[in-house]
Amino acid sequence: MKFTYFHLMPYPYLPPDFEERFSSPSLTFPNGYFDPALGVELYHRYLDELEYADQLGFDGIAVNEHHQTAYGLMPSPNIMAAALARRTSRAKLMVLGNAIAIREDPLRVAEEIAMLDHLSRGRVVSGFVRGIGWEYFAHSINPTRSRARFEEAHDLIIKAWTTREPFQWISPNYEFRYVNVWPRPLQEPHPPIYIPGAGSSETMRWVAEHRYSYMSVYAPVSVTKRWFDGYRNAAAELGYEPDPEKIVMSVPLYVAETDELAHAEARGHVEWLFHKGLKQGPEIIFPPGYMSASSMRGTLMSGMRGYAAMSYDDLLREGIVVAGSPDSVGEQLERLRDELGFGAMNLLMCIGDMPHERVVKNMELFASQVMPAFRESPPPATEPAPAPQQ
Amino acid sequence: MSTDSQATDHHAVRPQRLAVSGGSISYLSAGSGPPLLFLHGGAGAGVWHEAHAIWAREHRVIAPDHPGFAGSDELAEVEGVDDLVYHYLDVIEALELERPALVGASFGGWVAAELAVAAPDRFRALVLLSPVGLRIPEHPIADVFFMRPDQLAQALFADPARAPALTPDVDTVLAAYRDQTALARFTWSPFMSNPKLHRRLGRIAVPTLVLWPEQDRIVPRAHAERYAQLIPGAGLETIPDCGHALHLEQPQAVAHAVGRFLRGAD
Repeated sequence: MKFTYFHLMPYPYLPPDFEERFSSPSLTFPNGYFDPALGVELYHRYLDELEYADQLGFDGIAVNEHHQTAYGLMPSPNIMAAALARRTSRAKLMVLGNAIAIREDPLRVAEEIAMLDHLSRGRVVSGFVRGIGWEYFAHSINPTRSRARFEEAHDLIIKAWTTREPFQWISPNYEFRYVNVWPRPLQEPHPPIYIPGAGSSETMRWVAEHRYSYMSVYAPVSVTKRWFDGYRNAAAELGYEPDPEKIVMSVPLYVAETDELAHAEARGHVEWLFHKGLKQGPEIIFPPGYMSASSMRGTLMSGMRGYAAMSYDDLLREGIVVAGSPDSVGEQLERLRDELGFGAMNLLMCIGDMPHERVVKNMELFASQVMPAFRESPPPATEPAPAPQQ
Repeated sequence: MSTDSQATDHHAVRPQRLAVSGGSISYLSAGSGPPLLFLHGGAGAGVWHEAHAIWAREHRVIAPDHPGFAGSDELAEVEGVDDLVYHYLDVIEALELERPALVGASFGGWVAAELAVAAPDRFRALVLLSPVGLRIPEHPIADVFFMRPDQLAQALFADPARAPALTPDVDTVLAAYRDQTALARFTWSPFMSNPKLHRRLGRIAVPTLVLWPEQDRIVPRAHAERYAQLIPGAGLETIPDCGHALHLEQPQAVAHAVGRFLRGAD
């Protein structure tokens, strides 16, 4: 099993009346609430935590892109990855991912990832995302063109990385008459690609076609299972079985000395993440056209409740969050692995407004008392993929 | 051709299909007399409304669903309002509408204005019901995409009690999402406007009436005023006790104001 230490870099200093006054920390929560004196310390603290994960033996350290939100302070994940590139030496440097569909110029992503690949001596993993719904409001990009822009931008970036002479690119959403990206990436043919999915059947099929890694977002185990099965089915229809390490479960995780202590210490921070950080209405998550009709139907029929309606105990019961003593966390991860068939985990261990000391204890206990058991065991024997649907 | 009794009964008017380039569209039609082409806004597609029935007493009313709305195919090649103009010129020809009166509500008002700019000889009269389409940065149009369904109903009607009840079953939500998607395709960016339209409105050479509802919480009055000012000879009337969903909230007042104007337009 591979473990990635993922950071959201939240801004935890929300006003006490945040929940009554604001519908979301994203898009319209005024940036007057950002205190630069606190912000500067946060960036250095969060980068220290990512560097420490490299030292503790996590396989990857991961950052991602969000805009106009207190939920995550990384409008440019590539800048964070650059800050980490020369301060770490072993872990994969995972950008999960660049929101290529909302960029006017996808070639800038091709250039920056290629530079990062050199700065990190070939440790970069490149995630590509469409961007969250509210980012289409924030960037005035038409969400009805989201999927087309994503696929065109992806095709352009891959071609820019793998073509050794200038070429012209013309597609419905982009036109570049001279594409000739310097530098090319260090890794051949290009850095590994991760794609987060949130249930879109188009994404599952697309990721399987490209043989990329498919990563879940926070969801109940029953829903994640449907997504991973969808990805495996799509691969089976294409005639192959994906490597379990290309199926990646994302989960906030907290370990403490005992179950009781873990829940007592995690509860408030988990509630911050799901009730404040992820507070958002469907109107900003699903702008028109962002979802296809079939994916929207799937989402509506899945019966997933909004996070606001889920208590800490609900989140644990649904498997959206994992917490407990080292032994019980180890058992939960085994159970999840056996049920879902993943071979890699993307762990959020600085959960919501969790203070630094607690994050460090969480990381140390996990690295010393949970991770080793998963290192010694061979990768799980996955169940054969279900037969393709007719 | 429909009969008079069908024209006044909202339930008797059945959708019809018209083959167009790339697929087909759905439209409602009833009444007889000179043709009246009605272009709907973000709300109200696919329904024969009371205002349609009133107009159908004196006109052959044709109310098509825009591509991607209600019963019409998506027609992916119709990407923007410029494409919609050619689409409707084709529809007018296919349905053999001889110089129709053109009535457009909100987004449909924008499309109607663009049609009258592009083909001023093809229409008998133009009526714009609180149209969008002009870019006036100091008087922004409300962001309908940022509203929850309940907020949208509050914003569209002066008296939200007059809004249709919300039925949150999956099929209704999906149909509304499809309509919103079609609207976003044409209006997300530039938001609800063609930044060049104001320079072209002087080309409109047909009698024009602009109606603005007194409690419009979506489109500020400056937009109706600007249209009336830039279209030669256009009139501007205000409908009291009414929100942006003009013909849905005050069907009789709106239908009769339009009817009076059309009778005087010849």
